[in-house]
Amino acid sequence: MRNDIELDGIIDDYLQGNLTADEAAAFEQLRANDPAVDHKVVAHQVFVASLKEYGNILFLKQQMNNAHAGIDVDTLAEELRPHPSMLVNLWRKNKSAFAVAASFLLLTVFSIYSIQHNSKQNGSYEVMRREITNIKNNQNSQNKLVRTIISSSKADRGPFRAAKFGGTGFALTANGYICTNLHVINDADSIYVQNSKGDSFKATVVHRDSEHDIAILKITDNSFTPLSNLPYKLKKNSIGMGENVYTLGYPKDDAVLGEGYVSSRTGHGGDTTQYQVSIQINPGNSGGPLLDNYGNIIGVITAKENNVDGATFAIKAKYIQQALNAIPEDSLGKKVAFSKRSPMQGLSRTKQIDKIENYVYMIKVYN
Amino acid sequence: MSNKLSSSVPTDREVVLGILNNSADALNKLYTGHFPMILQFILNNNGDEDDAKDVYQEAIIILYNKIKSGDFELSSKLKTYIYSVCRRIWLKKLSQQSKKSNNIDDFEDVIAVEFDVEQHEAKDLQFEKMGESLLNLGEPCKTIIQDFYINNLSMQDICEKFGYTNTDNAKTQKYKCLQRLKKLFFQS
Repeated sequence: MRNDIELDGIIDDYLQGNLTADEAAAFEQLRANDPAVDHKVVAHQVFVASLKEYGNILFLKQQMNNAHAGIDVDTLAEELRPHPSMLVNLWRKNKSAFAVAASFLLLTVFSIYSIQHNSKQNGSYEVMRREITNIKNNQNSQNKLVRTIISSSKADRGPFRAAKFGGTGFALTANGYICTNLHVINDADSIYVQNSKGDSFKATVVHRDSEHDIAILKITDNSFTPLSNLPYKLKKNSIGMGENVYTLGYPKDDAVLGEGYVSSRTGHGGDTTQYQVSIQINPGNSGGPLLDNYGNIIGVITAKENNVDGATFAIKAKYIQQALNAIPEDSLGKKVAFSKRSPMQGLSRTKQIDKIENYVYMIKVYN
Repeated sequence: MSNKLSSSVPTDREVVLGILNNSADALNKLYTGHFPMILQFILNNNGDEDDAKDVYQEAIIILYNKIKSGDFELSSKLKTYIYSVCRRIWLKKLSQQSKKSNNIDDFEDVIAVEFDVEQHEAKDLQFEKMGESLLNLGEPCKTIIQDFYINNLSMQDICEKFGYTNTDNAKTQKYKCLQRLKKLFFQS
């Protein structure tokens, strides 16, 4: 018993490092020689270690309890416990989801705002259109693309008085039916048409379509000799955006070619009776034929956007046919018809124009 | 090297350094900093304030031991670690009480801490046993053992504190106490 107490004291001192170097060496010798002592040392060490750990954790718990005492748990709990209201719970649990939804919403609002912003510009676009429509009704408007012929130096076989307004028209039949815009010949006292060779013929209006701004004239002049077969056809089908198109017109005394592409399937403000084409045209081009690459007539040039460059509008060919239908079949003779294959298909642009030129007329209006 | 903590919300590094240096302040701030998170978690998952305190303190002990043992690497935020440990412990408690433990409402990210928690459970068992044994040991043995082995008082101090006539008497007393404690500990 006495020895055990001493041994215990020595082991404690040994483990705490309180022994001198000699004593420690001697004790280690004893450990090595006596397994029972060695076992005691190890067992003691383990037990003391767990005792120490117990102490540490006890101390830690004490510290934590002190810290805990400093926290106002009740208030916190009141704040954090599940709220009786479903809404608050929902908010707490799905904060992140709400955040995502909110940012999405914000984005949407933003996009809608910017779209509306864009449509605001469209709005002013329409206002411009109204102006144009107003002007359209005004005979004297430049925008109608009726060329005001101030001094026509060309003395032709027609009237010797200079024509007041000019436009363009094109032959619909070999026997002298010509298509042009109604606004070109509106209020006309007399109408003369002049072909590319410079010959003028008197013409009368046989059909007015104010809805589509189409007029059909008939050459009544005795000197007029029927034309050979028409080189072009009407294309009734809607034409695709981006299709290359061209027009021949008389913004001056000689024919002028205008080239471009279909930029929209609808005209001003979504007018479905018209195309929007990107062709630079000038007063005098009104009533000119709009042709596609294959030499089909797809429309009649009628007006252009005031403040927008290269936005020209053309009445779709379908409505030419409608106008034609209003004229007795007998008097038309051999007329242009819708067909699948165009006679000029495959010809180069120059060749096409060569052929068409003879069928496009300058319309001269006197009043 | 004592680390003076400047801000009230210590960074993770500050906490780890503070704990390694036995800074009470660091522990305090760590404790108060993350308790609301756990309180919210427990309150929203069928627990009360006391549950929150128990679970949270266990988690802090695990973190503390992990930092002290030196093999702690900051692979995640301390916050995430504490939350994950608490979640694990609370899930276990819930299943022990056979309360429903599906549909846990989470408030934070969770990382895998099963190993740490299981390791702690073994240690916790020892801790309970030791506490019980010391309690059964009775006075003055309990205090003598605690003073000598935990508070690192010398035999001389104990001798004076308890009024023993000489250190040999104290040593004998301590020896007897330790023998009884070992008996109690290994019996239970």
